[in-house]
Amino acid sequence: MIDKQEALKALQTQDYSFFPIHNPAIECASRERIRAIQLAKLIEQVAWTYERVPWYREKMDATGVSPADIKTLEDVRKLPFTDKSALRDTFPYGLFAVPLDEVVELHASSGTTGKPIVVGYNAHDMDMWADCIARLVQMAGVVPSDRAQMAFGYGMFTGGFGLHYGLQSLGCMMIPAGSGNTERHIAMIEDYGTTVLIATPSYALHVCEVGEQIGYDWSKSPLRVGLFGGEPCPPKLKEEIESRMHVICTDNYGLTEVMGPGVSGECLASRDMQHIAEDHFLWEVVDPETGEPVPDGEMGELVLTPLGKQAIPVLRYRTHDLTRVVTEPCACGRTTARMQKVRSRCDDMLIIRGTNVFPSQIEDVLAGIEGLTPHYRIVVDNETGLDRLTLHVELKPEAFSDSFEQMDAFRTSIAEKLKSVLLVGVTVRLVEPGGIERSFGKTKHVEDKRRS
Amino acid sequence: MSVQQISVFVQSQPGHLLRILEAFESSHVSVRGYCASDTGDYGIVRFIVDDPARGLAVLQEQGAAAAMTEVLCVKLEDRPGELARVAAVFAEKGINVTYGYSLISTYIALKVDDVAHAKELLADTSVETVSQADLAALERE
Repeated sequence: MIDKQEALKALQTQDYSFFPIHNPAIECASRERIRAIQLAKLIEQVAWTYERVPWYREKMDATGVSPADIKTLEDVRKLPFTDKSALRDTFPYGLFAVPLDEVVELHASSGTTGKPIVVGYNAHDMDMWADCIARLVQMAGVVPSDRAQMAFGYGMFTGGFGLHYGLQSLGCMMIPAGSGNTERHIAMIEDYGTTVLIATPSYALHVCEVGEQIGYDWSKSPLRVGLFGGEPCPPKLKEEIESRMHVICTDNYGLTEVMGPGVSGECLASRDMQHIAEDHFLWEVVDPETGEPVPDGEMGELVLTPLGKQAIPVLRYRTHDLTRVVTEPCACGRTTARMQKVRSRCDDMLIIRGTNVFPSQIEDVLAGIEGLTPHYRIVVDNETGLDRLTLHVELKPEAFSDSFEQMDAFRTSIAEKLKSVLLVGVTVRLVEPGGIERSFGKTKHVEDKRRS
Repeated sequence: MSVQQISVFVQSQPGHLLRILEAFESSHVSVRGYCASDTGDYGIVRFIVDDPARGLAVLQEQGAAAAMTEVLCVKLEDRPGELARVAAVFAEKGINVTYGYSLISTYIALKVDDVAHAKELLADTSVETVSQADLAALERE
């Protein structure tokens, strides 16, 4: 068993050697070695895909590119992009590259519009997935003796089972509690000696708050690690959970279309960044408008090609997530590339009276204001003919005053700070502590009620 | 002699005031008077209770945004001119009444700039000021 206090101290004193590296042969390899592995696997992957998936074969034939044209990593740019629509149009099995008899697991995305996105895995893919998960959980200090309690719902969503299998293959004891029933979660943590909690960050905060309300002392709890996913985790929210629950929390990045959670995982030495499992995923960063690569280290849309993934081998998947990737070695000892945590997507940009607004900009402003929780909700409408953005923010108890004058001054100061950053006027509404709904899946921060 | 008032930030939505009242009820805190004011989106609801410390604690436990403020409490005879008499004392000495409301009976809570000073001024009149202990001791109907 890892000692909780020692782990917290190691993080505080930046003693990163305390946290294991799951696969040093890959995670600490030279850039040349990583690129050589990627090239060998890319060549195989393109051939595999071309031979087995008619949809890709037709696409490649139409643009006159054959597997033999892939001779360098840069040659990946000759290949067609894949968008979400490709998976939707070929629903359910059109992109599968192996016989269904070989598929051992099926998952699907929630599918907010139309048909869901369905993906399959064969035994080889499940091993690859487990390897990715083992790496990211070890970045947070998880070891085989840990006991991991699942607070995601299982179901078709990749988050639940993805983490479950990965942690189990590392040797952890899985406690498949599932979502909901917060007081039972807390009782299980205490009774079973749970050391790792897998949850959305907003649900983790809810667990924390409920625990505090019923008088559970988190500093004495066996819980040591929080593994977050399912929604972005603003840094301030993570800090708050870490200090109130006395745990180390990391989050990871992934998406159903290329595998699920585990494409990259947060590094404790550079917490705004996530190490990509580069031997399993070839990354590109492109200009979302043109599809052309952006200069090294600059922001753009992340494009991913899974390497060695057999059942569904998507090529150059357009994630619509905006990030930048750096390849300098990291203080944690790893050499794999790091992507900045995704704060915004090409498609979550709101256009308010002609001005581009990203929810992440709003998060940044709120993070700098004392007296507010990290929770917020954006409502956009055009009832009056003009676009109007109303931001609901949650008051912390200590920021409350008996005076309407002071409350209104606080509200106005928030609106002014937002306007100076967003360059567009915002109506701010104060909401009671806990008044903004906590999510148990992907947090819906934005409600766009505009009629065109 | 002054009393402690509990103010609570409450959204202007059905059920939100109820949550506060239920919290008081379940912890046997007796409300002696209250007033709810609004700005449209939200309101500040102010309570005078028999046991303010317990009342505030129970609200804080449930995570509400609540604060304690000192107010002056006077007991007036129920006849014309009584409230005017109090207002005249403060007006003459430049003490501002930010807000005020009546409690059960003709008890009236007043938020003023300077509670201690206001109380001294009233001591020279026949207006009775009410203490927290007086409120707690009131017989429950």
